[in-house]
Amino acid sequence: MVKKIWNTILFVWMSGVIVGAFIWATQQKALKEYTRIIYFHVPVSWITVLAFLIAAVYSFLYLKKRLLKYDAYAEAANQLGFLFAVLATVTGSIWAKVSWGTFWNWDPRETSIFILLLIYAAYFALRSAIEEQDRRAILSSVYAILAFVTVPFFVFIVPRIYFSLHPDPVINQTGEVNMDFKQRVVFFSSLITFTAVFVWMLKTKFEIAVMRLRIKKLEREK
Amino acid sequence: MNPVYVVMIINLIIWAGIFGYMLNLSKHMSALRKKLNKLSDNEH
Repeated sequence: MVKKIWNTILFVWMSGVIVGAFIWATQQKALKEYTRIIYFHVPVSWITVLAFLIAAVYSFLYLKKRLLKYDAYAEAANQLGFLFAVLATVTGSIWAKVSWGTFWNWDPRETSIFILLLIYAAYFALRSAIEEQDRRAILSSVYAILAFVTVPFFVFIVPRIYFSLHPDPVINQTGEVNMDFKQRVVFFSSLITFTAVFVWMLKTKFEIAVMRLRIKKLEREK
Repeated sequence: MNPVYVVMIINLIIWAGIFGYMLNLSKHMSALRKKLNKLSDNEH
């Protein structure tokens, strides 16, 4: 029952965010009609970092406790992180087209997300290359932690060191969110709702991972 | 019709699709979990 209520709230809330983003929220002077992409691009970028962080935490937990479910959780979080990183790249690329006139121009922000995608693609390549379960779990856990070390560097540091056309992030040097009331309402609602959807997806993936481990165990026992 | 409304409706349809898929997946997983629990009980 509680789950049904949560699901209904989530559905209505996200629908409200979409309607709010397209109809209710005002437009930024510089961006005009393209303001709306902020409400989708920023949340998916935030979730990318969150997912990779969760994966690194579970990888660390696996190395500490050697429970296979933690490795499975890390893999699930990395899969979602990769999916959201692709979404962030695609939405960012659409934004670049309308702001800069081209989908891709190797801006520091674009280059850094591209390298990040390659790093995490290598994580999945590594996993598929090793058959032995424990060895795969150890190596990919170490790799996931090392990969996460690069995330703050590529997401937060590189675009600040080099000149970038990318607009100031929400957490900027002045410490201000340059949005009016309506924009803030839609933006923060979008952040919360996207995070809730991500948590739902992650929980589902965790459950699938646990079930897969249980099925493997049952097969071994037979 | 204003193109903004068209894009908004497409977004809403995509969201409804993702939501429906997630609900369906949750339903299937509950059924699978019950089956697995039964199997585990039989094994022990």
